Amino acid sequence: MDGASTKGVLSHLSLLEVQARSRKTQPQQPSRVKELKAKAEALMTQRDQLKAEIETHKSLQKLRASMDKQRTHEEEEEEMAEDSDNSQLLRLMARHTQLKDLLHAHDIIGGYNIIKTRKGKGLCISLTTAYNGVYLENYNLEMDLKPTLRISRDNIPPFIPLKSLAEQSNMQTDIRTLLDPLSQHLNAFAARKQQFKLVKELHKSVQVMESNALCSLLVLMFTVPREKTAVLCSLEYTDHTRCLPTRVHFECEDKGLPDSPQWKKNGSLLMETPVHKALITMKKMGDIV
Amino acid sequence: MMEKMSEENIEDVRVLEAQIENLQAEVAALQRQQQDNHKDITFHLRGHIQDAMSYVCGQKQAGEKEKVLSKLTEEVEELEEDLKRQTQMNGISLNSCTTKTLQSSGRQLVQQLCVSGHCSELVFQVEFQLSEVKKGQRSERTISDLNVVMDTSDLQNFSSFLSGVEESRDLLLFFRTLRTFSDRCDDRRRTFQHFQEKYPSVVSLPGGCRSAVMTLNHPELPGCVLFVHWSVEVSREGRVTPKIELLTKIPEKALQLFPSQAVSGAAEAFQSLLRILGPEAAVESVIMAVSLSQDT
Repeated sequence: MDGASTKGVLSHLSLLEVQARSRKTQPQQPSRVKELKAKAEALMTQRDQLKAEIETHKSLQKLRASMDKQRTHEEEEEEMAEDSDNSQLLRLMARHTQLKDLLHAHDIIGGYNIIKTRKGKGLCISLTTAYNGVYLENYNLEMDLKPTLRISRDNIPPFIPLKSLAEQSNMQTDIRTLLDPLSQHLNAFAARKQQFKLVKELHKSVQVMESNALCSLLVLMFTVPREKTAVLCSLEYTDHTRCLPTRVHFECEDKGLPDSPQWKKNGSLLMETPVHKALITMKKMGDIV
Repeated sequence: MMEKMSEENIEDVRVLEAQIENLQAEVAALQRQQQDNHKDITFHLRGHIQDAMSYVCGQKQAGEKEKVLSKLTEEVEELEEDLKRQTQMNGISLNSCTTKTLQSSGRQLVQQLCVSGHCSELVFQVEFQLSEVKKGQRSERTISDLNVVMDTSDLQNFSSFLSGVEESRDLLLFFRTLRTFSDRCDDRRRTFQHFQEKYPSVVSLPGGCRSAVMTLNHPELPGCVLFVHWSVEVSREGRVTPKIELLTKIPEKALQLFPSQAVSGAAEAFQSLLRILGPEAAVESVIMAVSLSQDT
């Protein structure tokens, strides 16, 4: 190759190299600074926003605490120092949270949840059931307000005597005369149902021979350890507002067993204790397998 | 010239990067603090209250204030109406409900609640843990650690029920029973007050109208007193049963003068009267008899 042209190409190449290198470092620096500045500003805005929210939160907490105290001790409304242009808004916000919490509490403690429907022409009432700390089914009543208060729809199980409870009640003047007995029936039913479910889950050695939809009858088969005798136990729950049996009956090939002091005690136990708990005791005492 | 520029920029970059690191740490700390705050008070930051929060934190225009204020006022008024309706419907007045979030993950929420209020004259405070676990479509709610505080100094038969209910965590049973108990006590108070007003010379309430005892005696026979003892019993199961008894305090001399069953068998006779006439009418007949009234 020609020496002179090689030199020219090489020097041209090295010039291009220097230019490329300087392009990489120099023009990108201003835009990197711009980028970082933007990021820093965004973070500052975020920080200031968070600080403002935390301050507001603190004020709301203070307001809420004083509002709660006021309600409990029925004190006069405290004169708030009008230090902030936003004090009216903050009071409203604190009041909002207080009301929401109180309404939530009414729901949690099993209150009758009432919603107006159809632009005030109807009501929807919700009844909660629970047993042993576990919330169970909710049941609903839909009612017409005009011309008189009456039930239009419901999802109450058919074996709960809704119609007769409504007839016996004073619901036109005081709807609680319907809702209280209804809730009693529903909660007792839910409790019995839950007890039967727990018997099946916790006591696999006890056979469930029979039960019904209303959970007013439970027939169990026990096995006595050692002799391996079978004892048929019938639990009748004739008072549907209660979740304890009204009658306990044992049947066994060994005719003397039901009259033995041990089994008389078991009979009382089953009358006074929810069945799934009574069975735990009976197992501990060694009376059943 | 290019060398000098790159030096300055490297300095700027270093300073900015340090500043950013500090800001990031600050923001992280503030976010943690905010999370902790949210555990102490649950602000359901949706809708109008979210708008209000944004306004207060300077995120919205000054002109928006009126709009935010009026929307929030409207919502608060609706909530006040709801609360009034719930209070009347449930027969229970709640003074406060404080919630503290103990644990909050995607599927589980555990809160500590403290609810205080009163049912007629009966004041209560309940504290419990509420957990909500999402199971598919539904969520399962459970209560644990239930603690009930009531002034049971004159509610002897209530305390055994209360300890049972704490053990079984039957929060709803507590409130149903409380309300029924309160209703029966109110029945008693109304009846006692009614009779005291109607027959002031014969009826007196030595323990006040909320007590369980009403005494009957004719002013001309101070030694002969009849007591109507009306107790409201609560079983461990939560069954509320009013029990009304008639007790007599009649001096021996009087009993000797009138050996007939009418006087000494008054208590039993009253029970039959109760079964036939019901509490108010039965008590009224006794009052009429004591007042030696001509109208029957």
